[in-house]
Amino acid sequence: MPKTAIPEVLPDIKKAGATDAREELDAGYLVICWDDPVNLMDYVTHVFQTVFGWSRAKAQKHMLQVHNEGKSVLVRETLEKAEFYVHQLQKYTLYVTLERDKK
Amino acid sequence: MKLIRKDGDEFEFEFEPVEKGLFFHLLGLYPAVPVSYHKLTKGRRIPHEAENQELLNDAIRAQREENQKEIIALVKDAARFTDGAESTRAVFQRGELEWLLQVLNDVRVGNWIAAGSPDPQQEGKMRRDKKSIQHVMLMELTGGFEMLFLSTLNGTLKPGGEEF
Repeated sequence: MPKTAIPEVLPDIKKAGATDAREELDAGYLVICWDDPVNLMDYVTHVFQTVFGWSRAKAQKHMLQVHNEGKSVLVRETLEKAEFYVHQLQKYTLYVTLERDKK
Repeated sequence: MKLIRKDGDEFEFEFEPVEKGLFFHLLGLYPAVPVSYHKLTKGRRIPHEAENQELLNDAIRAQREENQKEIIALVKDAARFTDGAESTRAVFQRGELEWLLQVLNDVRVGNWIAAGSPDPQQEGKMRRDKKSIQHVMLMELTGGFEMLFLSTLNGTLKPGGEEF
């Protein structure tokens, strides 16, 4: 009975694809900068200003959070944008990853 | 090395011969950071993680090849480096200094990794062998150039001011 078998299969496939796309479009990805003892504080501040266009005060706030607390969540974005920022920050050799927000 | 002129986004520096030699030497150490140092994620909770990590690695490799070509072009650029009797002058645009920061920091971080990733706060744990000490020295020298360029870019270094 192919006519009934096909509809049973297709919705599952479609549903799986839609879930992937939804996950990727969800602004639920955190770009996190982790502390390391090598990157200069002024350098990290400068990179945040350059990559995100932040004010010096905002960039310093995140830099100090990295330094004092071990990490700072820089932005919450879609997967594609988060990957873009990770690559931009890694060009400057900062220790940066993206993580799925638990919320 | 010092900043001697600033005109909008154009900056002119003066290098002593040893500084020019050191600057070129440090640029020649690029790339120093292993590609595997850059991880897309720690949590393994993103879609298509392996493919995305491979794409990131490919992008890093391509960028490195391009940077290496640019470095070779820079050090061979006789028109940029004007040799005087006792020093050399060179002009850089703001975007070029930004790029140099990326290149130099790769060398700095790469030497830090090669030295065993020491933490200055835990001096007792630092390696004392000759090779590691050389890496730490290269790391510090690279940091000196970075600070000079950072101070230039953020406007705190005035022409004719402090020297590196």
